[in-house]
Amino acid sequence: MSATELSTVRKSILPKGGDTWQSIAARCLSGTPETEAVSQLQSWNLHVFMRASGAAGSMRGTNPILPSDVIFIESPRA
Amino acid sequence: MYDLVIRNGRVVDGSGMPAYNADIALNGNRIAKIGRIAEKGRKEIDAEGKVVSPGFIDPHTHFDAQLLWDGYAKPALSHGVTTIVPGNCSLSLAPLRAEFRTKLVGMFNQIEEMPLKAFKEGVVWDWETFSEYITRIRKGLAINVAPLVGHSVIRLWVMGEAAMERTATPEEIAEMQGVLRECLDAGAIGLSTSYVDMDEKLQPVPSRYADAAEVEAFASVLGEYGRILQIVPEFYDADLTIARLDQLAEISLKYGIPTTFSPLFVNADNVDAVDRVMRRVDEQFARGARVWPQVQTRPIDISFCFAVPSLLFIRLPGWYRIMRFGTPDQIVAAFKDPATREKLVAESAVYNALWPNLRLRLVQTEANQKYIGMTVGEIAAARGTTPIDVMIDLSIEEHLDAHFLAADMGHNSDERVGALLKHPRVHIGASDGGAHILSFSTYGDTGFLFAHYVRELNAMSIESAVKKITSETAAIWGIPDRGLLQQGYIADIVIFDPQTINRGEEKYVQDVPGDGSRYVRDAMGVDTVIVGGGVAWTAVAGYNAETRGEILPGQVQYTRTLVPA
Repeated sequence: MSATELSTVRKSILPKGGDTWQSIAARCLSGTPETEAVSQLQSWNLHVFMRASGAAGSMRGTNPILPSDVIFIESPRA
Repeated sequence: MYDLVIRNGRVVDGSGMPAYNADIALNGNRIAKIGRIAEKGRKEIDAEGKVVSPGFIDPHTHFDAQLLWDGYAKPALSHGVTTIVPGNCSLSLAPLRAEFRTKLVGMFNQIEEMPLKAFKEGVVWDWETFSEYITRIRKGLAINVAPLVGHSVIRLWVMGEAAMERTATPEEIAEMQGVLRECLDAGAIGLSTSYVDMDEKLQPVPSRYADAAEVEAFASVLGEYGRILQIVPEFYDADLTIARLDQLAEISLKYGIPTTFSPLFVNADNVDAVDRVMRRVDEQFARGARVWPQVQTRPIDISFCFAVPSLLFIRLPGWYRIMRFGTPDQIVAAFKDPATREKLVAESAVYNALWPNLRLRLVQTEANQKYIGMTVGEIAAARGTTPIDVMIDLSIEEHLDAHFLAADMGHNSDERVGALLKHPRVHIGASDGGAHILSFSTYGDTGFLFAHYVRELNAMSIESAVKKITSETAAIWGIPDRGLLQQGYIADIVIFDPQTINRGEEKYVQDVPGDGSRYVRDAMGVDTVIVGGGVAWTAVAGYNAETRGEILPGQVQYTRTLVPA
């Protein structure tokens, strides 16, 4: 079996350094207005969106996205 | 004359082939001969009516700390486990600079539920490097140890505090690759990382600040040595687990390494999820990747008291924060405070179906002994109150020393778990031995496999079950010369009664340094455990003072070298 023969699963990305909801929206959902795209990303990635922000004074600040996260770029499949 | 001869046993050799009757002769630490053996042994064991199999290998443990005060990893050895893999989930005790000892102890306490006092009173911190840690645990080692090195600790070693804040620079990644090589040279069997765990401040562990490029850089080093990568994926969500196993598959294919992820549970609310994950596992194996899901044999039972944080409350932040950060007096005060109590009761409502079914296991006061063994619902009826109020009131009355059991929390479908356990691409493991010591007993999973899935349900043959926890595990992890009963192999051997092998009842014992307690299970039906040709434990005499445990795979004898064309 080759990679192209794998069944289709929910699309996701691994973030790049410093990625935010906005930067991922711009890169992966470029045809969608930013506010809507960010909102979609957040709703598809509650495991990240619902995460508490970084510790006080941390470099992560209010950006909940970790460099190791999986970020879904589409809704769950039926 | 042989050193040891095991006579008249039913040999289940770990290959999965049918069992057969034979004697086994040992010389030194190796199997010298299998068949009918006329020569005498200096020592002889009659295994009539017993199964003789390779020693069991437990691939997911956290014995890192216990090995510092207990080279037998009690009671794992008595259950027939002759090799353990500590260092899972991004956490090992080395390499570790002195200034991060408190930090790492906090992480072990938070993630693996190891008591702080055990570290304080049971550990003499006389190592920093991985090699020094290996030297430290090698003394008095009665069980074989194939240690993983943790991604989070390598980050702490190289990046310091920044390990908990940001991605690594190319220079730091190169340095971390060098540290990993040192660990592998010193005997580490591979690297572990985690995508879910939180530290003692409830912040992500250092490995979670690594990007995919950093993990690949580590994988390239593992590829140089042909060693394994273990991860904890976001196991609570099937889509996330599938995304992780796809990531692992690419790494496995690119660097030619085995990978494993744990745990994979069957729960009533994710039955379909397990099927989806396994379909993906099958596809990735069909591509040639090695992405082994680890599945535990035992159902999920969780015991708790409010004196220590419990996994059971991790999704109830109000409760969890009090348990995590409060002293016993502060927790009792919170329970007595009407406003706080009202908030806690309200938050706990999401689990209202659970609370009545909890069973009271242990209390200290005479007045409450009458409730032992009753469900919280029954006690509530007797007291004319609600189940959640019973939990709180008993905990106040016992100054938090009231212990409850949540039984059968999941992974308890015989049909589905049985199907998973015998699946050719499922790796039996995930015991968590040595961790969560006040939540559940992590010992006896092998006995439960034979008692429940082989003997009671007939879901697997004894040959298949033995193979799953011996030669398959050795092959997956690249442990040479173990996992099979064959001439020339290392003599790690278990002799057990197939009619009675089981795990004993879970019991509460006080044998952890610092007057600490834990839940354990005694072995049942195991007769003799042999490690490296020496008798390490018998049902009659207990643990043997002569110890022959080794570090596996051991210091690197050879690494890949490029041969000019």
